[in-house]
Amino acid sequence: MSLPIDRRSFLRGMLNGAAVCVGLPFLDRFLNGNGTAFADGARLPVRFGAYFWGLGLTDTPTGGTRWVPSKTGRDYELMPELESLKPVKDKVSVFSGFRAIGDGRPNLVHWSGHASILSGVAPAATGRFDGPSFDTRIADAIGTSTRFKVIDIDASMSRQPVSYSTRTGNTFATPETTPLALYTRLFGAGFQDPNSDDWKPDPSIMLRQSVLSAIKDQRQALMAGVGKADQIKLDQYFTSLRDMENQLAIQLQKPEKCAACAPPAAPKETPRSASVDAVRANTRAMARLLAMGLACNQTRVFNFVHTSGTSETYIAGQSKIYHQITHDEPIDAKLGYQPETSKLASIVMEALGDFLVELDAIKEGEGTLLDNSLIMAFSDTGYAKIHSIENIPMFLAGRAGGRHKAGQHIHSTGESVTRVSLTAMQLVGAPVGEFGSGTMKTARPITEVIA
Amino acid sequence: MMGTQLLIKRWVCGVFIGALALAVTPSFNSSAQRAGVARTIKPALRRITETQYRRTIADVFGPGIKINARFEPEKREEGLLAIGNAELSLTSSGFEQYFALAISISDQALGERQRATSVPCKPANPNQSDDVCARQFIESYGERLFRRPLTESETLARLKTASAGAERSGDFYAGLKLALTSLLVAPEFIFRVETAELDPANKGQYRLDGYTKATRVSFFLWDSAPDHELLTAARNGAIHTEAGLKQQLNRMISSPRFEDGVRAFFMDMLQLDGFENLVKDPAIYPKFNQTVSDSAREQTLKTIIDSLVRKKRDYRDLFTSNDTFINRPLAAVYRIPFASNNEWASYTFPQSSGRSGILTQVSFLSLFAHPGTSSPTRRGIKVLEIFLGELTPEPPANVDFSKVQDSSKGTVRGRLLDHMNNKGCAGCHRRTDPPGLALEHFDGLGQLRTTENGKSIDVSAEFDGVKFDGAQGLGKLLRDDPRVPASLVRNIYAYGVGRKTEDRDEAFLSDQTKAFANIGYRLPDLMAQIASSPEFFRVVVPSGVHRASSTPVAPTTAPKKTKGVSR
Repeated sequence: MSLPIDRRSFLRGMLNGAAVCVGLPFLDRFLNGNGTAFADGARLPVRFGAYFWGLGLTDTPTGGTRWVPSKTGRDYELMPELESLKPVKDKVSVFSGFRAIGDGRPNLVHWSGHASILSGVAPAATGRFDGPSFDTRIADAIGTSTRFKVIDIDASMSRQPVSYSTRTGNTFATPETTPLALYTRLFGAGFQDPNSDDWKPDPSIMLRQSVLSAIKDQRQALMAGVGKADQIKLDQYFTSLRDMENQLAIQLQKPEKCAACAPPAAPKETPRSASVDAVRANTRAMARLLAMGLACNQTRVFNFVHTSGTSETYIAGQSKIYHQITHDEPIDAKLGYQPETSKLASIVMEALGDFLVELDAIKEGEGTLLDNSLIMAFSDTGYAKIHSIENIPMFLAGRAGGRHKAGQHIHSTGESVTRVSLTAMQLVGAPVGEFGSGTMKTARPITEVIA
Repeated sequence: MMGTQLLIKRWVCGVFIGALALAVTPSFNSSAQRAGVARTIKPALRRITETQYRRTIADVFGPGIKINARFEPEKREEGLLAIGNAELSLTSSGFEQYFALAISISDQALGERQRATSVPCKPANPNQSDDVCARQFIESYGERLFRRPLTESETLARLKTASAGAERSGDFYAGLKLALTSLLVAPEFIFRVETAELDPANKGQYRLDGYTKATRVSFFLWDSAPDHELLTAARNGAIHTEAGLKQQLNRMISSPRFEDGVRAFFMDMLQLDGFENLVKDPAIYPKFNQTVSDSAREQTLKTIIDSLVRKKRDYRDLFTSNDTFINRPLAAVYRIPFASNNEWASYTFPQSSGRSGILTQVSFLSLFAHPGTSSPTRRGIKVLEIFLGELTPEPPANVDFSKVQDSSKGTVRGRLLDHMNNKGCAGCHRRTDPPGLALEHFDGLGQLRTTENGKSIDVSAEFDGVKFDGAQGLGKLLRDDPRVPASLVRNIYAYGVGRKTEDRDEAFLSDQTKAFANIGYRLPDLMAQIASSPEFFRVVVPSGVHRASSTPVAPTTAPKKTKGVSR
């Protein structure tokens, strides 16, 4: 079945943010040389993801850095803990020397760092953010034309499932924690293959819409007499309801074809294990599914947790967990760092490397999915042994459809982490001019990486 | 003396955590006295838990309904999910889950097989809408699910859905399914919306309305929505009278369903939800698996139900009594024979086992440990938090670990002694570690051992100036510590009312603790006593509440700032 669209209506559809996936034979004519944008400047959809891992990287006060390159700019050298980024080095920018600034608020261990990066505010208490996480602003800007506004994933398989994405500061997103659960969400019931030729609108979806309108009718009566805190909770509830309505509306539209979309087979149930190898394998399996979900236009925004702030991962057979090792292991006097901790950090970074490679493996236009994405990867601490929130390792990966001048090392001497967050927001087109509060308030993105 | 102990209970390691609660205390009942009093207000909104959801569905539609969904994670505050959950809303992905679940429940409840039992009437024509029958269904199920009668406008909204759906699909039941789905994803079902009305007996004051009282009692004692009798007591006002309330409480506590309520409470207080996500390194603990994990949780709950509900024993005996139940997978972990033909068999650990009550069951010992080792600190923190009501602050950020040596050799005690000698750590570790060190004869899975890395393990400890030895010493110490029953009273009250306790509650809690002693520390009597007290139904007017007129009015005063309080 072919659609009677001409170039103009096609582009209008894109600019209006309707469901867009690119029919390749049609598109080739319009792509510019590097496959990232149309010849006349309109772009392929850009995806955004936040990728988190716990326990930082090794950069000791005694000078034994294992990740901060000595050179800045394009030809930065790959330090030992970043070795796994080699295949995608040109698409990754490294940010060192940025810090979370508390303005007198205490450093809440394994919490203040990423809370500052995500919400722009040093948090008052562990377990809460003092503002929404910025991924929600990006999702509001670029996530409304896909079936899912955002997909949340926790690959760590340890303790409570973790997400650091929040609209209220109190309720955090509910992540998918296994490949099977992620597969079911993306490709299970409700998935419509964009390349299928016999698409018909599902009449049951229309009926479902009326279920939600009956609830909305009662909103005002429900809100009456409710306290402030409960109003916030109900607002969130109705936001979630609207997301569901949007999802139903999108399912009633014929999806655009996606050349890169090849729905995968359902993965097997995996046994729970939090050994570093198991978590790395889980990360890779979930990255592959997520990448296909992006390619099939099911979502444009995601939050991915590799391990939480107090990572419980361990090396099989070794009694101590990674978190404990970062604190207990003495610094080797000769090496100037903790060798075991650094080894574990390298394994954690291998998972990030795997993740990016999975995104880079999917061809889109003349480039790859990674070229059309921006992933901000970061941790909760700098040097974990002392819970430092200075020099927190941060990366921007992917070319963001050509906007990100990727492949650079940017070093700062103690500026706020929020500058990197703001840069990420602007690179993917979120309408945000200023981010953060107190000393961390900034209106200055890092222009060196913006094309 | 008891009073002083309660007041200082949250003074730990030099940090007065209670200050947080003080700073955010909302105003009490006085606002109703101001001009322009709202007739009804909604003091609280709490998402129902997974077990409450499951039990309600089973009660309303029968136990045959399959519920296959991922529920939203819960959140623990001050030791209880019941407190933390009060802050939670519903995320987008959570909504998706509840929506899909609601559709699946409607399909099952109104499927061809079950509709005859589910629907109290027959449509005039099954291929068309039928407002009379649909209304009957919506009103009757709506009341069970919303835990109060529907308003006319709530009913009409669902009637509209049902009739439009029936007309479009040519199937009365398809329309009814949509109406039911709409009840099941409504905030009035997913959240407990507590409502207060002007109190006819106290001018200008609020009281919880009858349905809210019924719901509180029901979730507290049965962990499920109110049944018909309770709703009737709410409707006819009997629940507002002392005799009427007592009658309901007696009925509920003597019902077998009371065990569900007690289970739910101890699941929360003992943090047994942690088993959902517990991992152990199979290289170190090859016996651990999902069955052991489920069994360990069940063992503790079975022990508690048998001891406290069926045998009505003294609560404090939980720390010393070794009467319990085991099944085959647990017998392997405990290294004891299992000869029964039943799934579970009662069992009493001998004195020589070194065990002493629930602290030495696999559940506590494995839950509060690391994947590959025990953790005296984690266990100690949890003894203090769960049984003594003492919260331990987060560790300071910039600790000097330089003195802390690697201890792949010797016992964990050596490493912790380093902490205790370190200024930044000592304040807390001196307090948290001794109870944990006393449990060191049990490894990270709860298996008995007496040596670590070839060295014999020293389990002597000192707590609050009292020297004791091992798990049995700790069990005795806790059994005789007056803070243990006081802490239970506080937890039960906070769990029932769904909020943190405040200074204003202290006198009440202290009275309840004395009364608990007078009734021989019997749990069912304590729960009845708390649920029958006016304090259990006290209305706390939340900040920013506005009039309950049909057109909402913006709040006149700015909401109290609850953020920015550092501890």
